[in-house]
Amino acid sequence: MASRLKSIGLRTGSIIVLLLLWAAAAELMNDPQVLPGPLAIARTIVADFKTPGPEGESAYFDVGITLARIFITFSASMVAGIGIGLAMGLNRLCERSLLALIPLMLTMPTILMVFLAIMWFGYSEAGGLVAVMAVVTPFVTVNMYEGTKAMDKSLTEMAVTFKAPRSLLLRKVYLPQLMPYIFSAFRYAFGETWKIVALAETFGLKFGIGYMFFFWFEQFDMTQVLAWIIMFVVLMLILEHGVFARLESRTFAWRASVAR
Amino acid sequence: MKFDPSIARAASPVAAMAPVIPGQPVRQDVSVASAITIDRLTKRFPVPGSGEEFVVLHDISLAVDDGKFVSIVGPSGCGKSTLLNVIAGIESYDGGSVTIHPKAGRAGAEPRIGYVFQSPRLLNWLTVEHNIRFVLEAQNVPRQRWQELVAKNLEMVGLAGQERNYPLNLSGGMQQRVAIARALAIEPDILLMDEPFSHLDAITARKMRFDLMEILQRAKPTILFVTHDLSEAVFLSDNIYMMSTKPARIFKRVAIDVPRPRKPEDATILDLEKTLVREFFSVVEAKD
Repeated sequence: MASRLKSIGLRTGSIIVLLLLWAAAAELMNDPQVLPGPLAIARTIVADFKTPGPEGESAYFDVGITLARIFITFSASMVAGIGIGLAMGLNRLCERSLLALIPLMLTMPTILMVFLAIMWFGYSEAGGLVAVMAVVTPFVTVNMYEGTKAMDKSLTEMAVTFKAPRSLLLRKVYLPQLMPYIFSAFRYAFGETWKIVALAETFGLKFGIGYMFFFWFEQFDMTQVLAWIIMFVVLMLILEHGVFARLESRTFAWRASVAR
Repeated sequence: MKFDPSIARAASPVAAMAPVIPGQPVRQDVSVASAITIDRLTKRFPVPGSGEEFVVLHDISLAVDDGKFVSIVGPSGCGKSTLLNVIAGIESYDGGSVTIHPKAGRAGAEPRIGYVFQSPRLLNWLTVEHNIRFVLEAQNVPRQRWQELVAKNLEMVGLAGQERNYPLNLSGGMQQRVAIARALAIEPDILLMDEPFSHLDAITARKMRFDLMEILQRAKPTILFVTHDLSEAVFLSDNIYMMSTKPARIFKRVAIDVPRPRKPEDATILDLEKTLVREFFSVVEAKD
């Protein structure tokens, strides 16, 4: 308990020091066009949420749109990746036919994929979805596939000996062994997804945090640009640590209960 | 060896009891019922790259009577485990037959086979109780019986109260007890045990053998037990089949008519062991 408090204290301490350094640098420079202070940014963020922006909507709208885009494209990529990865791991034919395609997809640079998707689908939601799926799904697939290869065959044999039907085998034998792989794919996929969505919003899609960032970038308004970047980062941090970390510790509760 | 459950399932070679002929009453065998009969069983593996075949099991015939403890003793690599896998239906075979007779009252039903492996093979992410429920669900045992079967069999192996514990919190011996309780919980027509004590230290293994004896008195399961340890086999069994390698065949069947409960240091048992060891090695070593 004491060590936990200590680590929380250290973490908040380091953030406070960073904010103070930033405030001091802004004070010294004394030029809000180059480096506005943290207080000015905080005031701008609050104002963006309270008052309609240049497109007639407040920040709630843009944050909501970005979150929805992330959620939809992320879920689609995860579902597709897990499905294809499982199929490859459990079915010889799928394995042999898909194995050659994976490295091809994995080597495609993310930013090129975003531009390609925009060229094919125009500035539409479908473009964003395709870009995310093209980049994220192969990674999730590979992770799942490797997970199936690392499964303990002796447990499969045990389950088959006791005549466990496929669905039971999947639920109680395969999935628990794949959970660590699913979570590591989850983290990576989420990080990739929000970066691609931000990129797509910056270069093409209308509305969203990336779109607002680019709008203010063109106005050369440093305060607003920084305000939107910080909004984005804070939002993603909350999702990563508040939601995923909790899900993960719940899933692996059985490990924690084992005496060390 | 690659293991593919879909193939094993499709080609399950274990036949159920003789077919029921319409219009005729099902014949009940009233003499000592045999739980499992193996007749001239043969299995070959192709030797990779040579086009030749290696005979794993040659002309194996044996029977295990209901409620009896039968051991197969043989040197490592003689095909004992393969034999158990064939009986369990997870490996195919090339000739002969394997017949498992479901217990009275379950005639015509799919035979129930319990299996205790060398290592416990528990699902570490499930509690002890849920490890047992796993096989009950797999075998379609009605849900309302689960709690009773879990409690009864954990009590039998001396693990009452460990229901909510996780396997990794238990010692190796206790994990193997859970594996035994799991196999017994499905009320198997036959319980296959593949050197179940070989991974334990000598003292734990000895204690486990005593406890297994006690379980036998209470639950009266039919057991086919595979081991390379003759003294273990003599202490536990009603009958012993001795197996040799090259080719893998049964060369002797011995009945152990020593009343239970037995002691491993009992003079009759030790004498019998001595004779059998001499005979066993004269055959097995002559092959090398």
